[in-house]
Amino acid sequence: MDELTREFLIESQEGLDRMEHCLTDLEERPKDAGLIGEIFRTVHTIKGTTGFLGFKRLEKLAHAGENLLGLLREGKLTADSQLITGLLQLLDGLRSILKTIEAESNEGVGEDGILIGWLEELQAPVQAQAKDPAHARAGAHSASAPPAEAVAVPLPTVSGPPPSAPAQVYLRPVEPVPAHKEIEGDLVQPRAQGTAAESTLRVDVMLLNRMMNLVGELVLTRNQVLQATSSDPSMNLLSRRLDMVTADLRESVMKARMQPVSNIFSKLPRIVRDLSQSLGRRVRLEFEGQDTELDKSLLEAIKDPLTHAVRNSLDHGIEPPDARIAAGKNPEGILKLRSAQEGSHVIIEVSDDGAGIDVEKVRQKAIECGVITPERAVHLGERELLQLIFLPGFSTAAAVTKVSGRGVGMDVVRTNVEKIGGKVEIDSRAGKGTTLRMRIPLTLAIIPALIVRSINQSFALPQGALSELVHIPPEAAASIEWIENAPLYRLRGKLLPLVFLDRLLMPGVEHTINAERGTFIAVLDTDGRRFGLVVDGLADPEEIVVKPLSGVLKEIGLFSGATVLGNADLALILDPGSIALKAGVTLLEEEADQAEDGELEAAKGLEYLLVEASGRQAAVPLANVLRIEQLPLQRIEYIGNRPVLNFEGQLLPVEDAGGVLAAALANSRAQGSSEQQIIVVVCREGNRQVGIVVSHVLDVAAGGDLYEAGTDKRTGGVTLLKSQVTGVVDLSAVAPLPAGKQSPAVCSQIEEAVA
Amino acid sequence: MSTAATVLHRKKKKAATQVEVCTLLLDAKIFGLPITHILEIVGAARPQPVPLAPIFVGGLVHYRGDVLTTVNLRQLLDMPPREGRQDLLVLESSGGIFGLLVDSVKEVLKVSSADYEPNPSILYERRRALFAGAYKLKDSLLVMLDPEQLDPMRLSAVRAA
Repeated sequence: MDELTREFLIESQEGLDRMEHCLTDLEERPKDAGLIGEIFRTVHTIKGTTGFLGFKRLEKLAHAGENLLGLLREGKLTADSQLITGLLQLLDGLRSILKTIEAESNEGVGEDGILIGWLEELQAPVQAQAKDPAHARAGAHSASAPPAEAVAVPLPTVSGPPPSAPAQVYLRPVEPVPAHKEIEGDLVQPRAQGTAAESTLRVDVMLLNRMMNLVGELVLTRNQVLQATSSDPSMNLLSRRLDMVTADLRESVMKARMQPVSNIFSKLPRIVRDLSQSLGRRVRLEFEGQDTELDKSLLEAIKDPLTHAVRNSLDHGIEPPDARIAAGKNPEGILKLRSAQEGSHVIIEVSDDGAGIDVEKVRQKAIECGVITPERAVHLGERELLQLIFLPGFSTAAAVTKVSGRGVGMDVVRTNVEKIGGKVEIDSRAGKGTTLRMRIPLTLAIIPALIVRSINQSFALPQGALSELVHIPPEAAASIEWIENAPLYRLRGKLLPLVFLDRLLMPGVEHTINAERGTFIAVLDTDGRRFGLVVDGLADPEEIVVKPLSGVLKEIGLFSGATVLGNADLALILDPGSIALKAGVTLLEEEADQAEDGELEAAKGLEYLLVEASGRQAAVPLANVLRIEQLPLQRIEYIGNRPVLNFEGQLLPVEDAGGVLAAALANSRAQGSSEQQIIVVVCREGNRQVGIVVSHVLDVAAGGDLYEAGTDKRTGGVTLLKSQVTGVVDLSAVAPLPAGKQSPAVCSQIEEAVA
Repeated sequence: MSTAATVLHRKKKKAATQVEVCTLLLDAKIFGLPITHILEIVGAARPQPVPLAPIFVGGLVHYRGDVLTTVNLRQLLDMPPREGRQDLLVLESSGGIFGLLVDSVKEVLKVSSADYEPNPSILYERRRALFAGAYKLKDSLLVMLDPEQLDPMRLSAVRAA
């Protein structure tokens, strides 16, 4: 394929993407001359260029479309839904020919007669309504005459265009100027170029990948240089500069790979339009945060899950208009797509204000399918039940429709999103609507991982799958229990299936527990499977640069890539999903486990750290918890009566709401011992940190919102934790310290002096 | 006959041309590789072993931003493993780049295509796939290796067959 054709393909595809967008907009604002102008230009440009390149089939189709659009632009037709459907068909027709050209370098031999005929039929109303004889003739021409003649028809009117159109046209510098070109003839297309075109550049994705690779390499080299030069003061400045430049460069290259989510959002109006028509729904599509950016490859990967989610919302979520009216809702349903960046993740939400998921139906269906036993089903909460819809083959739809209901949708959504290291959560309220939330990592090339040791080698374990770590000291080796060949560990009373990494990697090797350091269990959560991976040791977590493996090693199936560690060693990246599969950890066993455990990822709301202070339970939002410190009582110092903690060089006010500290103090005085230990939960609150003294840290659990009876108001200060109403510690209520960061000794002296 | 051998063979027919061959050593045996396929020679490589990998895989090495799969030539030629340092040749084949672990890399020889002979027909079937003929040197034979056949993907396909 020559350069010109390739250029043409890229430009046409971009043009058609824009056109698709405009068409769906046009349906809402049928009078918008700017939109019509833009659509016209796209088709016109394609027609002109194809004539030049000699693609006859494409030219003929584009020409038929152009005639229709010409009439629309002149205001002789109105953009009703039938016309827009026709134009969308035209768009699909053009796209499929372009695809053929791309694949085979020729147009293929398809027949577009029916489509062209239809497009001509759509021009018919003009004939019927036209009063002006000249127009009547024009209409007759375009319907019956061969296309070559019909091209002359719109021409005479161009000299007197509709008043609003030209202004719109000239405002857009990137687009070709149509009126001007049309008079000149369609032979040569001057390239659409303007300021935007001059300041941007098309870059091959392969080149970007290569650059990303090299930057990754630079990051590793920098790490090694920093380690090597850390003792040499003369190199200090230089290596710090290297450090900074590398970090900036990495960020820039990563940015170059980013694309706004609007790139995939823009495909949705069309899908929503077609679906809502065929399903008889009325839907308004709303977008929020379209400019959120995501790595190109990830964007590609979430396209399918997103489409699935939207289809699901339309089919099962939003009710038909009459049902909505009966339910007292606006007959027009709202489908909202929201995206936002949260730290190193991008959140994409698909929410509708439809019927929501009937939890009872899920419960029944789950029992029918044998996913859970009736006894257990009774004990499951709403949230646990909702997660069941992600199981393969699970669908609550009463009947399989053309659009969805086969029970593959949600399973596919979860699989695809987890494949790229993301997570899916669902939340639904019967009668109010459903929200599906996808958490997607910003980039795949660099991921956080925990470095583990086994068979004297380092392996990288992606942190996305890691839920917790358990250390088994050598003396507690018996806490790994066996049922025949199956090793198990009791994790908070539940049996966790274990997989020994060394046995998996070297069949025939017996796992031996290190007599000094014991052994470690990494509890992994992946694809709905939960198991413990037994490793010999743990090293620091690292940001690793993922390098692909050759085909031969990919076939092993346990490794998803390799990476170079800070100490220049190579490490294989473990693939938790494949390990679970290979070790035979099944989904069902796990799912039941999870359900009973009630340890599901919170579908909505927050996770809380459940603590006990003097016999009372309280909850601290987990997102605010920085550390849990066990320290000797003496570490707590006092400013006047205020207990404070000198924590990593910062002074934190310490809250002793439950009187734990006072009790401990009294206790230690009574016993005269200084051995007393206390637990302080260090939390972030706004820009400051505060400590909370507790007796025990109990668990981490998902909290649910509580609604005051009879109202929809969310109650503040309490949350539903493990089916118990639990008070949430109000961190902002912890009074700030009087002065800045003076040493407590000085402060207390001052206070004493004042007193 | 393998591709490299064909190329060499064709060259011979035209006229006697000079060919540059990199020689390498396994124990006392000497082998040759056409330098056109060699990207780089890395001394004293420390490949990272890969558990569960096919036996001919010598491990992974880090090479200019990529992680290369290496092929252990000793294993491929059924020679016992050897302690101590090994040299690494980074080779390019049609399937991509990979590493070849050898005892040591010697000098680059200029040989004449007139001295080339294809694989003898009585050679073991398994060797015939790896070797690409030989050059008759003054006092010995320089057996040529075929880089295409050493590609790990190729080796794994052959093993599976």
